[in-house]
Amino acid sequence: MGIYDFTVKTSKGEEKSLSDYKGKVLLIVNTASKCGFTPQFKELQDLYMKYKDKGLEILGFPCNQFAEQDPGTNEEVQQFCRLNYGVTFQIFEKGDVRDETAQPLFKYLVSQKGFEGFDANHPITEKLVAALKENFPHFLEGDDIKWNFTKFLIDREGNVVARFEPTTVPSAIAADIEKLL
Amino acid sequence: MVKVYSITQCPWCDKVKKYLKSKNVAFEEHNIEENEADREACYKLTGDLVVPITTVNDKDYVLSFDKEKLDAMLGL
Repeated sequence: MGIYDFTVKTSKGEEKSLSDYKGKVLLIVNTASKCGFTPQFKELQDLYMKYKDKGLEILGFPCNQFAEQDPGTNEEVQQFCRLNYGVTFQIFEKGDVRDETAQPLFKYLVSQKGFEGFDANHPITEKLVAALKENFPHFLEGDDIKWNFTKFLIDREGNVVARFEPTTVPSAIAADIEKLL
Repeated sequence: MVKVYSITQCPWCDKVKKYLKSKNVAFEEHNIEENEADREACYKLTGDLVVPITTVNDKDYVLSFDKEKLDAMLGL
């Protein structure tokens, strides 16, 4: 079983085989809603604009298992929405990414790259861990997705080469992407 | 002509449009979700793809539903 054996649904409900992305470098991300406080969308968009012509595709999977928030920012209020689906980088149908109900693709991804801890230097790490302990203590156990904006990097041959936690911002993985392009 | 960049299902875009209407400000709506040229123009103007964006001259713009800034830019 490899990454290209999975079929997912687009935001319009159409089936899409990941084999359509053979030969591309992929960044697969579980995303939050478009009107939440979600600064990582901007950086993902920037990465996509920068590398799409060199063969990068970003695949976003919206999920509401994490209260539709960027980590640790519950108190933030914002009054705008972000264009985040269908047209710039590909956004798929909303679905679960962790626990028993997780989409098969995400069960596969976490089996290939398990959880190795958050980036201790990121300013929200402490808040995120505290919020998880309080609200979703079992999220901290095992290899399942911990929060919005967990990122999996796939090389041109379909190997899952890296996993970045929500505490690694997209701009910080540009060098890893460049190596694969 | 005043332009409002928007997307579908964006409560803040609706507020801006309602507000402009209430002040009798004529504007064009540009949905960046549906139109690629509008999307490129919005990205070029703001370096991002967040909405609502209101602009009077394709140079100065106001992000979000911010009455004070809108009033200042539009001379209301």
